[in-house]
Amino acid sequence: MSGYRARRRAEDEAAREWKGGCRSYDVVKEFCIAVGVVLAITLVLTILFSSPDDPPSTIRQWSRADPVDFVTTAVSELDGSSTTAGYGPPYNHASSGQHEWFIRPQKWLGVSHPIDTTQDFVLAPLSSITGQPALQSAISSYKSASSKQQSAWADGYTKALNNAKANPDGSITVPPGSYGPLPTLMNSLVAFAQAGGLDGALLTSKQFYQTDYTKPLLFMADGGLLASRAKQQHLLGTQWGIMNETGSYPGQSWLWLYTFWYQIKPFSTSSNADILVMTVMAVLSLALVLIPLIPGIRDIPRWIPIYKLIWRDHYRFIGQRR
Amino acid sequence: MSVLSDKPAGVRRRSWTVALRERAVAALPPEKLLADKQPSYVSSWIYVFGVLSLASLVVIIGSGTILALKGPAWWHFTGVGHFFNSIHLWSVELFFFVMVIHLWGKYWMAAWRGGRVRTWVTGAVTFLVAIPCALTGYVSQQNFDSQWISAQAKDAMNAVGIGSFFNLLNFGQMYSYHVLLLPVAVVALVVAHVLLVRKYGVVPPFELRELKARAMAAQPEDG
Amino acid sequence: MAAIFNLNHPAHTVHWHFFQMSASNVVVIVLMVIVFVLAIAIPFPGGHEPGAEGS
Repeated sequence: MSGYRARRRAEDEAAREWKGGCRSYDVVKEFCIAVGVVLAITLVLTILFSSPDDPPSTIRQWSRADPVDFVTTAVSELDGSSTTAGYGPPYNHASSGQHEWFIRPQKWLGVSHPIDTTQDFVLAPLSSITGQPALQSAISSYKSASSKQQSAWADGYTKALNNAKANPDGSITVPPGSYGPLPTLMNSLVAFAQAGGLDGALLTSKQFYQTDYTKPLLFMADGGLLASRAKQQHLLGTQWGIMNETGSYPGQSWLWLYTFWYQIKPFSTSSNADILVMTVMAVLSLALVLIPLIPGIRDIPRWIPIYKLIWRDHYRFIGQRR
Repeated sequence: MSVLSDKPAGVRRRSWTVALRERAVAALPPEKLLADKQPSYVSSWIYVFGVLSLASLVVIIGSGTILALKGPAWWHFTGVGHFFNSIHLWSVELFFFVMVIHLWGKYWMAAWRGGRVRTWVTGAVTFLVAIPCALTGYVSQQNFDSQWISAQAKDAMNAVGIGSFFNLLNFGQMYSYHVLLLPVAVVALVVAHVLLVRKYGVVPPFELRELKARAMAAQPEDG
Repeated sequence: MAAIFNLNHPAHTVHWHFFQMSASNVVVIVLMVIVFVLAIAIPFPGGHEPGAEGS
């Protein structure tokens, strides 16, 4: 080991300062030429290919295109069975989130963006609709029922939605059954969504000026629309989608190693996949930064002498001189 | 006026300005900061990828500035806006393209040798900081791509706890990070990286053992 | 402003065992390797020309 260290130290000292020949060179001109070259290449690519701009989905579009999926999602938000409702921090306390051994950063950092899906996604927007006494009565009826009764209504209605039909006017029809006030609530919600009111209501629930799309995005993500669009564009995780872009545009190829871990066990079958993959990537990123200090990795350039190609002019010159 | 203050030593020591100036000029005298000579071994096309990375960053910031002038919705509704958005996207692709090739070249040259560890470190950290800078850009596009990327990537952020204060679904926050905070970080790192290159120079070639042996054999004997 | 080549259609994907990547990403990565190899292989104009200073 001392021989290795001595060689490394000698190599370091030898590389500290160049005492050999120099030649003239214009750094400012080189920079200007580089900017010109990059600008030219960028302009050519822009003219040839432009850039993608797939329009965003809205709750209005979603509820019109697939009212059954919309209502199914809305019921799961109401009864607390949706992904968001059971997510845990930073939205709620429904679960403690992902963990790695005893390390639970999701839980430790807490609920910073509280979302009550029952209230925020369903009851509050419905309560804002005026001039509909039947609706307000249905809301009161639901709120005053016991949680056991609410669950029974939701479970029955969810099963019935498997056989639901979308009507031409945008409403849905489910087989007859005992669903309490749920049909009234859901038909009103789908009409409100199809009119565009729910997009606005979820965005501006706190104040007029708003840039936080957390609520409308979480609501849509709980449904099937975003995922089905993503699948068509090869953007799903199982399609290595993290690296991809919409259309046939190049995406983020630098994320290849990040998405790779999600495809293999144990990450692909773990409910803690995200924290595990982020940990692996953090370690590898640290290793990248600290390559100069890692024996072995820092010696590979010496062992696989690509440098002989890079500096062949120099070595030929030195060899001839000597 | 000479670089070194003409004030007495005691006054010079108390002046932060003079101390900073003297340190800066000692570390990087003008002829090093803007050198007009380079070592003769810098003789490969691989060496241009550093300046190409810098040039790409300039085009990214330039096109980004124009997009920022007209606001985040502009590029969806005008051809000119879409044109500048395309320049911004392709210059980002080019930036990562040339930066990674630059990284490959520097790795195979073991460019950290001779006291240049900090040069490597600042370069690697720049690459790592550029990734979230790009991510915040992707989620600021205000189109389907932003919706999908933010809805997916939020799980990774939440899992490690940073989702509690870095909300990918919050357009306003992501736009601020993308337009100001992360570009400032990238530029600061790049400036540090370039100044370190100017200070310590481009790493010399490995000494070939066979050339060294021949040189030693050719040395005249003492006496 | 319409592009000359319209890339707004679902991407072709390259499948190899469990690995899959969009064709455009494959093109970018392959190009990077080619450019890296060319950058090292192609002779640099001027070659090794030491200036007046140094040995």
